[in-house]
Amino acid sequence: MTRTQTLLLPMDLDAVAAASLFEVLSTMVGHDVTIDGSRVEQIGGLCLQILLAAVSTWKVDGAVLEFTNLSLDLVAGLELLGVRPQYFLERETSQ
Amino acid sequence: MAAIRQTFFQECEEQLAELESGLLAMEAGDSDSETVNAVFRAVHSIKGGAGAFSLEDLVRFAHVFETALDHVRAGRLAATPEVLKIKLRAADILADLVRAARDGTEVDDNRCRALADELRALDPNGGVEKEDDLSDLNFQPVLVHFDGLDDDDEPAAFSAPEHVFSIKFKPRPSLYAKANEAALLLRELSALGRMQVKCDASDLPLLSELDPEGAYLTWEIELTTDKDEAAIREVFEFVAWDCDLDIEMPGADAASDIDDDLSALLARVRASADEGPQAEAVVGDASFGVADETSNEPALASAPVVALPSKQAPNKAAAEVDAKSAAPTIRVDLDRVDRLINLVGELVINQAMLSQRVMEAGLARASAVAVGLDELEQLTREIQDSVMAIRAQPVKSVFQRMPRLVREIAAMTGKSVRLVTEGEATEVDKTVIERLADPLTHMIRNAIDHGLESPEKRLATGKHEEGLVKLSALHRSGRIVIEVSDDGAGINRPRVKAIAIEKGLIAPDVILSDEEIDNLIFLPGFSTASEISDISGRGVGMDVVKRSIQALGGRISITSRPGHGSTFTMSLPLTLAVLDGMVVTVAQQTLVVPLTAIVETLQPKAADVHGMGDNARVISIRNKFTPLIDVGRELSYRNSAADPLACVALLVETEGGGRSALLVDAIQGQRQVVIKSLEANYRHVQGIAAATILGDGRVALILDVDAVVASSRAEPGFYDNALAAVG
Repeated sequence: MTRTQTLLLPMDLDAVAAASLFEVLSTMVGHDVTIDGSRVEQIGGLCLQILLAAVSTWKVDGAVLEFTNLSLDLVAGLELLGVRPQYFLERETSQ
Repeated sequence: MAAIRQTFFQECEEQLAELESGLLAMEAGDSDSETVNAVFRAVHSIKGGAGAFSLEDLVRFAHVFETALDHVRAGRLAATPEVLKIKLRAADILADLVRAARDGTEVDDNRCRALADELRALDPNGGVEKEDDLSDLNFQPVLVHFDGLDDDDEPAAFSAPEHVFSIKFKPRPSLYAKANEAALLLRELSALGRMQVKCDASDLPLLSELDPEGAYLTWEIELTTDKDEAAIREVFEFVAWDCDLDIEMPGADAASDIDDDLSALLARVRASADEGPQAEAVVGDASFGVADETSNEPALASAPVVALPSKQAPNKAAAEVDAKSAAPTIRVDLDRVDRLINLVGELVINQAMLSQRVMEAGLARASAVAVGLDELEQLTREIQDSVMAIRAQPVKSVFQRMPRLVREIAAMTGKSVRLVTEGEATEVDKTVIERLADPLTHMIRNAIDHGLESPEKRLATGKHEEGLVKLSALHRSGRIVIEVSDDGAGINRPRVKAIAIEKGLIAPDVILSDEEIDNLIFLPGFSTASEISDISGRGVGMDVVKRSIQALGGRISITSRPGHGSTFTMSLPLTLAVLDGMVVTVAQQTLVVPLTAIVETLQPKAADVHGMGDNARVISIRNKFTPLIDVGRELSYRNSAADPLACVALLVETEGGGRSALLVDAIQGQRQVVIKSLEANYRHVQGIAAATILGDGRVALILDVDAVVASSRAEPGFYDNALAAVG
């Protein structure tokens, strides 16, 4: 049984944050991860695609990726970008 | 976000420069469509970016300005001098609004309103747009619907008919690299009407194959709006080069393989359909379902928590591709460049040390090591030149601030002034450019306030009522020369001399050449202004300008012809990082004299040296007496006067064009040295400009030639005696 790692997202998921988000998530591939979105105040296109790619990657790997505590700003940001927050809140488990 | 904002404001400055230069070109009669479009684009880009950051004051003014420019662009309004004057003032206010937004300050609202009214009054149809008409510029995000259109969305009476647009927007990586953001564009788009967005991630790879700076998402947007297609394109105009954009109004475009009548009919049928397609956000082929209840399993106590930092520096500089230029450019943090310059400076010093050690070891010049060192020296020079070139910038960034200054001073003085600039592309180190702005500003003020006559006086003397101020830059002998000239009355020498005597700056009976009288205006405390004006008499005299230029290692001189005007000439080093110098010895101390100041070197002969008063001496060079300055005494290295016959004299030219001979013990040779600030590492030393590290590791001081000459002149009795000898 693997330990669940928790990733606390920063306030600004903007273009500047994309590189570090990608880096950190890449190191977590294969592990069970909980992503905490409680602090997020804004999200941009680059970070959105990294999070979406993470969902697909975890699905392929069969590990658990769970999103939790999505802030209201994050929810609004996802909606603006055409993604329903439920997509992230849907718990992905191993097949 | 802060980084993106910073980039936005940097780009605003570029757009403002484009705007002003375009308007000035139009004022000069160049009203071709390319110039007019460039001017329009500049304001439009600022407006677009400002909208993304919800800078409403800026957006509102830019909108009014843009509308006025559009009249010119569409040929509805002629670009007359009066119209362009209003637009140039509008450009000034737009610049103020940009800087106020950047610095968190305020711009006088009355100024903005007054000029906005003037811009609206330019409407050739006479339809003055009320401020209320700008309600469409509210950049508050509009609620995004995901459940189809509301049934009660009845258009208001008399409102424009609504259209349903299908928009496909796919950013390219360059969009993000230029610090633009898809989310901000979508937010701006949502302000135009009701919007449904679908995010298509079908091109998105797995994390292992993903480029974090790539662009994989496409947004399909359905926008219901009473605006036209142009309004939608406006949102994307400043990223037009960096995305694929498809805008369709269903039924608006006819299929090519059916006849027009049928397609028109189909279009009407489609347009009459009330219901737009139900949009559903999808990721790849996955539909979003309703969330399951997430279980609340407690995480293991020992489970690590990773918190991403709020901000991290991007690990790659944002690439910037200028659409108008084939050469790609990148923005690099100045600190990185400075660090590189410092490292190259260290490399130069180490290379010099190595060369010296090899010479001391007695290796033959033809040896392989010596030849290799020569090649290393050349390579080091080339690296240094290349690194310096990175920091080099055209003086345009300073020159482009001056037209506004000229307009303001002309308005304050009631004078009519035309500014002509030349050599804007001349490059110089960024540090020099930054420190040029203040002295140049003062000199331009001075040229208009004191140099140019009133229009009435000009007409009375047969001149054109419009005065000319010329600002030019060029490279000469490894330095940059900047000239500020005017075609005014020239220096009133009798008055200047009288004021200098009255203020006790010179003796009443001193005989001065025209050049020396002209240079009196650089003396501290000198002012020809009978009363302090708001323009050039702000307690800042030309002596401050001169000190600023000297602090940059530069010289300033003046030439004037009564009735024809004056020319101030500044000669500055291209960089403050390296210096070509003459290494000399004075009282066992090693000094570096900037090569640019040295005219020639000579061995004094007994017949040529003459005593003047108690301490001063002059040397006759080609039958002309030149003050002979003992550097050792001036710097207090020794108390007794050096024997000129056992020394070497360096004939130097000072900023006023005057010449002096500096007495040093011996010359060691010429060398390029890396300049190290003495103030930053120690403190200011009178007569010393900076320091350097020599090849043998010793610190050598770099002489401030002008300061040494000035301090020798300050000795009592020297000025009068020396000049009397010359006379």
